[in-house]
Amino acid sequence: MEYSNPDLPEGINTSKEHPLKEFFILTVGLLAVVFVAISILIIIVDNFADKIPFDMEKELPISSFIDKLETEKLPPYLNEITQKVLNTFDLPKDMDITFHYVNDDTVNAFATLGGHIVLYRGLLEKLKYEDELAMVIAHEIAHVKYRHPILSTSHGIVVGIVLSAVSSSSGNTVINDLMGSTGMASLMRFSRDFEYQADKDAINSLIKLYGHADGALGLFEVFNSISGDAPSFEFLATHPLTNNRISQTTKIINKSSHSKGSTKKLYPSEFKIWLENQKQMKTK
Amino acid sequence: MYDLIVLLVLLALGYGFGRYAESSHYKSIIKREKVLNAIPAVASKVVVPPRNDLNSQLVSGSVVISIDYFKRFIAGLRNIFGGRVTSYESLLDRARREAILRMKEEAKKLNAELVFNIKLETSSIHKGRGNSIGSVEVLAYGTALYPH
Repeated sequence: MEYSNPDLPEGINTSKEHPLKEFFILTVGLLAVVFVAISILIIIVDNFADKIPFDMEKELPISSFIDKLETEKLPPYLNEITQKVLNTFDLPKDMDITFHYVNDDTVNAFATLGGHIVLYRGLLEKLKYEDELAMVIAHEIAHVKYRHPILSTSHGIVVGIVLSAVSSSSGNTVINDLMGSTGMASLMRFSRDFEYQADKDAINSLIKLYGHADGALGLFEVFNSISGDAPSFEFLATHPLTNNRISQTTKIINKSSHSKGSTKKLYPSEFKIWLENQKQMKTK
Repeated sequence: MYDLIVLLVLLALGYGFGRYAESSHYKSIIKREKVLNAIPAVASKVVVPPRNDLNSQLVSGSVVISIDYFKRFIAGLRNIFGGRVTSYESLLDRARREAILRMKEEAKKLNAELVFNIKLETSSIHKGRGNSIGSVEVLAYGTALYPH
């Protein structure tokens, strides 16, 4: 018997398809699946999360997180303004808000679970007018009013669940990075809606307090002027300031502003001195 | 964001180097197969008719090939969607053919006429770190028949 090995044709055991084509189809497919899954789940969760009683939200172990920030008691002036702004809101009875002050250069203010609102010295220093300060406070109170902290926490959990489900089935750490950014993109979309909603209420609150909402525009101008040069300007990361947001708020203001050309109230001199002292204390 | 840039750079490097390595390996495989086809390698266990005029000796060839970042990425996506893992198909095809070629080269040194009863074994090398190291070993062995 004769034995022989023929020249076998190529392409039997391999695919002729270009690997980049496969890569493109699979990647886009995965991102689309993740994005759609997260978006659908977030819509579902949105119908439930704000039904969680505020009392239950208050019991979440958030105070240890607040304590880590080394928060201090509010000075009388800040206390007065926060109460003034708070009174313009018609909050449910069980929803009580706790304000915190942090002596730190970080330019930020945020509302978190359990009705805690944190104001940083860095942000207070950048402002000159009481109206702008009131806008910041009103904006954060509106976040609490609409249950945004618990909603965005639920969104975060949804994103985490979807990502870990997909990544454990792919068994590949590389793919996690890719999906992390898609998850963030879908989260950002929802958090922008929150900002619009909070701005709207904050402007109404300003109008109730001062008869006009120049503080809102002033605040945006301040943000625009410092966004370029301040590395510690975290406010924009948590509160995306897009051109859309500015134009939308301008629209609301133009619609409802009663007295145009009105003047904003400056910070009282005691408060300015107090801020200066706080800064010196920190640098020591 | 930086993670994403690093990922894209690694994918591009994996794709570039992987493609180059694969195409040059295939060129070399095809060239050497044409020459070494002169020594047939067959799977049958016995030689018909029996050849008492020849000696026999074990010949073997083994190869270890690593996957690249790009191939691993595509295979990871395939884990979710299913379907042919084409990025590994060409890898294993190369490894099998290379192992047989190395076995035949050993047979050639013996002046063999034929290698019969050839077998192939495949194992993956990752030592419990399957997520970060992915190499495959293919071993080919058979009985070479060569003149006294």
